Amino acid sequence: MPNPFRRVTAFFLLSLLAGCGKAEPVVKIGFVGPLSGDQAAQGTDMLRGSELAVEQAKTKEPVIPGYKLELVSLDDAHSPAQAVATAKRLAADGDVLAVVGHLNSSCTKPASAIYYEARLLHINPVSSNPEISRQKFDTFYRICATDDLQGPAGTRFAIERLGAKRIFVLDDMTTYGRGLANEFMGAAKKAGVEILGHEGITQGEKDFTPVLTKIKGLNPDLIYFAGMFPEAALLLKQRQKLNIPAKFLGGDGLFEPALIDLATPEAAEGMYLTTLGGDIHQLPTAQAFVQAFEAKYGHLGAYSSYAYEATNLALEAIRRAGRKDRAAVLASMKEMKRYDGILGAHTFDSKGDTSLRTIGIYTVHKGKFQFVEAANL
Amino acid sequence: MTPGELFLQQLLNGLTIGAVYALIALGYTMVYGIIQMINFAHGEVFMVGAYLGLTAVLSFGLATPATGGIARLIIVIGIAAIGCGFLGLLVERVAYRPLRKAPKLSVLITAIGVSFFLQNAVMLGFGAQDRYVPEMLPVRHWGGGTVSITPMQAVIFAVSFLLMLGLQGIVYGTQLGRNMRATAQDPLAAKLMGIPVDRVIAMTFAIGSALAGAGGVLFGVYYSTINFHDGYLTGLKAFTAAVLGGIGNLPGAMLGGLLLGLLEGMAAGYISAQWKNVVAFAVLILVLLLRPRGLLGERLAERA
Repeated sequence: MPNPFRRVTAFFLLSLLAGCGKAEPVVKIGFVGPLSGDQAAQGTDMLRGSELAVEQAKTKEPVIPGYKLELVSLDDAHSPAQAVATAKRLAADGDVLAVVGHLNSSCTKPASAIYYEARLLHINPVSSNPEISRQKFDTFYRICATDDLQGPAGTRFAIERLGAKRIFVLDDMTTYGRGLANEFMGAAKKAGVEILGHEGITQGEKDFTPVLTKIKGLNPDLIYFAGMFPEAALLLKQRQKLNIPAKFLGGDGLFEPALIDLATPEAAEGMYLTTLGGDIHQLPTAQAFVQAFEAKYGHLGAYSSYAYEATNLALEAIRRAGRKDRAAVLASMKEMKRYDGILGAHTFDSKGDTSLRTIGIYTVHKGKFQFVEAANL
Repeated sequence: MTPGELFLQQLLNGLTIGAVYALIALGYTMVYGIIQMINFAHGEVFMVGAYLGLTAVLSFGLATPATGGIARLIIVIGIAAIGCGFLGLLVERVAYRPLRKAPKLSVLITAIGVSFFLQNAVMLGFGAQDRYVPEMLPVRHWGGGTVSITPMQAVIFAVSFLLMLGLQGIVYGTQLGRNMRATAQDPLAAKLMGIPVDRVIAMTFAIGSALAGAGGVLFGVYYSTINFHDGYLTGLKAFTAAVLGGIGNLPGAMLGGLLLGLLEGMAAGYISAQWKNVVAFAVLILVLLLRPRGLLGERLAERA
């Protein structure tokens, strides 16, 4: 027969335990990006940006008085399925008031629907596919420029600066890659440039020599690649091995120092890429961040500043809401007319996209990314 | 480039990756031939081989591309092959031998378990990111004109050819090979004849794994990046190659590997890169419909 006294004791102990948890109430910010897999370099660079923002916020006044601030970081391994699973996990955690997240557009897009249903503020640092904000989720905000700007900016650079007349286009068949390739080609066709072909490669594969050989046979003067850096590194390396003279231009998915290590500086020399913003080293507002980041982690990752900016924006929305309530955070974000961050002064349109519409161009010289120019669009 | 030169280049591209597929496919086919088991951890052994090679290159400072690149490369291949051979022995002893009398499905599940274990062990040990593998041979373009073959490609052809030749020598020219063939034909009868069946099976795993390890180094150095995920896709393709050639059949695995590499290369080069896997696997289905045992599968008596 169960002992009623024992049951009472157990109940008492349990309530004590529950009490321990409540002694220090928390509010959380979620971070999601690819922290494992071949894009982990970019995901880790982003996470460090978020970590720095949260760490700095902890040294100041609490965002909501009486609550401890925590960063929850989760891994989506750049898989849309895993992105949805992590989004659901964050949505189900009542302590989470905002999410900074997802590197890949193919992950951000399905996850944004989960955050929308959970009425959870979702600030996206770098997923540039324009379709995401066209879903018109009022929970979605994005602090970077989009591919309908990046693609045509790449086309203009290819024609005016690189003198490209015959272009072969490759993408990685993801939401981001295919979208960016189409934006690039649309602008190129309008400008009367000849597109010799457009093909997709599979993420995670290693051997791209067949399609590169085909490209070599067509003899274009430029190869445009819309995809991520691991595949770009292989393309550059194999382009060198096959002795293909065509120039190489890519999108912001290539903006990661690991690209140069993986491809070798010789094979990457002279390639170009477009980025979703200007040169961080020329922004006076960003210098304190750059110093703090480099002091803590060494070198600055390409996307660290975006994650830092997105996290600070989320923190600002929570601070203005002043209470642990997702609806209040959303309302305060909506009311925020302007946010002065390290990347510039953001105002957000009805789709949640930022007014900062700068596209930068970089090249690789002697194993380092070198800023070439930037255009405000 | 003329269409002829283009074709020649595509042929070289396809045969290079095909040779690597063939090396891995041999391991699948040997194990299947001897105990009718699909060793799904074999792709991971290949990946571990690539990482062992990288470790050897970095820790012995073998990367400096001055001279004697080929000798250094062969040392690295040797280290990885021996390491993977022992790994194969260990995996067989720990995860498969205790289940020798269990239903086939149980061994399949432990194989998948070993596969996840190795992937995650490498991820924890070496990190989740792509790792750069130093080039051990200079990038040169042989062949004068527009068709190019790099020294590394030549090494891949030579090494895989020699290893396959060596394997044929072992299987058809040594006592171990005779024991392997006997075990493949009838394990019980082989045991009654005094053949140490367990040791023969273990050696089969060791040899197959050593070949995969060598393949891993060739793959890593040729593509110059490796990731703990790499064993999955490449392993799957090598398994496909083994089935294409007729699983359990050694020349079949070599033929299947080279053929799959060529098919992929030609599909990507002449149809479209995004249809590469579709075409390659459609051909596989077609072959299996017409010849369910694979291209050379009817020579069952010779399986080993």
